[in-house]
Amino acid sequence: MNMQYAAIETRDLSKRYEKVEALRGIDLTVNAGEMFALLGPNGAGKTTLFSILATLRKPSGGEARVMGFDVMRERAAVRQRMGIVFQEPALEQKLSVRDNLLLMGLFYGLSMKAARVRTGEIMETLGLTDIAARQAQKLSGGQKRRLELARSMVPNPDILFLDEATLGLDVDARRSFWAQVRQFVRSGRTVFFTTHYMEEAEVADRIALINEGRIIALGTPRELKDRIGGGVILLATEDDVRACAWLMQHGHKPEASERGIVLVSTEPAAVLPALLTTLPVKTLRAEVHEPSLEDVFLTLTGKGLDNGEAVPPKPALIMGGAR
Amino acid sequence: MKGLFAVIMLDLKRLQTDRVRLISSLIQPLLYLFVLGSGLGASSVLGKGRYIQYIFPGVLGLSLLFSAVFAAMLIVFDRQIGFLKAVLVAPVPRTAIAIGKVLSGAIQALVPAVVLLIFLPLLGMHMGWLRFLGLLGAMVIAAITFSALGVATAARFKSTTVFPIISNAVLLPMFFLSGALYPLADAPHWLKILAHFDPVAYAVDLMRGAVLDTTFFPVWLSLAVLTGFITTLTWLATRVFASGEDA
Repeated sequence: MNMQYAAIETRDLSKRYEKVEALRGIDLTVNAGEMFALLGPNGAGKTTLFSILATLRKPSGGEARVMGFDVMRERAAVRQRMGIVFQEPALEQKLSVRDNLLLMGLFYGLSMKAARVRTGEIMETLGLTDIAARQAQKLSGGQKRRLELARSMVPNPDILFLDEATLGLDVDARRSFWAQVRQFVRSGRTVFFTTHYMEEAEVADRIALINEGRIIALGTPRELKDRIGGGVILLATEDDVRACAWLMQHGHKPEASERGIVLVSTEPAAVLPALLTTLPVKTLRAEVHEPSLEDVFLTLTGKGLDNGEAVPPKPALIMGGAR
Repeated sequence: MKGLFAVIMLDLKRLQTDRVRLISSLIQPLLYLFVLGSGLGASSVLGKGRYIQYIFPGVLGLSLLFSAVFAAMLIVFDRQIGFLKAVLVAPVPRTAIAIGKVLSGAIQALVPAVVLLIFLPLLGMHMGWLRFLGLLGAMVIAAITFSALGVATAARFKSTTVFPIISNAVLLPMFFLSGALYPLADAPHWLKILAHFDPVAYAVDLMRGAVLDTTFFPVWLSLAVLTGFITTLTWLATRVFASGEDA
């Protein structure tokens, strides 16, 4: 593989669907051999960016290159060098594991003989040999995903695109899936993935946070967490709305999330005791922890990563009353 | 060429696993042939035996039309479940995908239609090898035309719920206008005019010419029109596949 160019490079990439601006000037560089995560809520532009890089959609403006090839002008070259696992199953359910892989080999220009050899190799590598004759529809969720991964590796790609590839899998199946992906990365190749699971994104070398069609932060997991500094206080109270209002009035910047009230502080351990004694609402639970990627996203956008919905509006009025 | 082969192989592998589709695709043409043919034939001026012979090419057309379009509708299903994306990200030229889909649809349509040929002797239709080869040739052209029609249509749709609509609003009118069940020569003037715009009419006429040695359109015209349809529809399908998810 030529390591002289970036695996992915986009410049001012935009995409518009009639009235919706899905991507607004994305500048991104993913290095060859890197494991790169794209994180953002639904509707942030992840799938659109993914589709453009995978040559499935045309950008409205800007340019994008994958493994040095333009995704618009050199589509065949891009397609020859990439493997993709989609969020939805892209298998022919009535065909066997072997036939699914064999046919994909033919689609990638292999002769029947070469496709048979490649299918055997891939099944061996990913532990699918025992179920080679089984119809795809009769596989478990984890086995199906493994077959999807095998399908994406048939062309021996330089770069692997994974779009929410482990959605709906149990913890063991996810772990096994990522172990195989890591093996792929160890061979010096690139992985570009989107995920909803924070712990999956943490294993990436670098992460881009995307929101409303823009990259809002980019860095290693550590760098992103350091952006908000200190730590995070997580509060659950009897009346979160009232607690938020009180905190705002006293100079804090609380963010309401599904987990409770999130409060970023440079010295959370010092701030928490004072808060607990003065907060005019009964505290049910209080935690101090290191910032997570979810906290970073929440701090930067005021939105959660789960569904991308804005946090409930903060109250304009402070409700009176003591604890 | 390898991409074309891959598309055809995929669809034929699928057909192999779907015997129900093969068997059920024979029911409708057999009903038309033996129930409608016998019933209408009894009161037709063409006579019972001759009427069944007359509509036989029409029934072949019916079988080819519905089987080809149904095979093409699997594209919509593939798009709906996400499988089409796996095909579209492969380094296969979009022309090869479109032509491959058209050819594989034609092959899938020809399988039940060829089974119907078994009934030729039963219907008292004996023909020489040359005439039989002529019929097969006409069937191949008809199958490719109908498959191209199905692929160009299916490539644009995102939901399989459109199939009953297409079946009732497009395919059945095309079939009834084609002269498959009656002689176009004796049809009202307005029907004759409409038939000129119906590719099924040319395809059935070509098959009828091979079987009964009688045609409504000149053979060269049928061949030219069907070739035009195939080229245009395949080009349209190629354009849709080239648009990927933007289609």
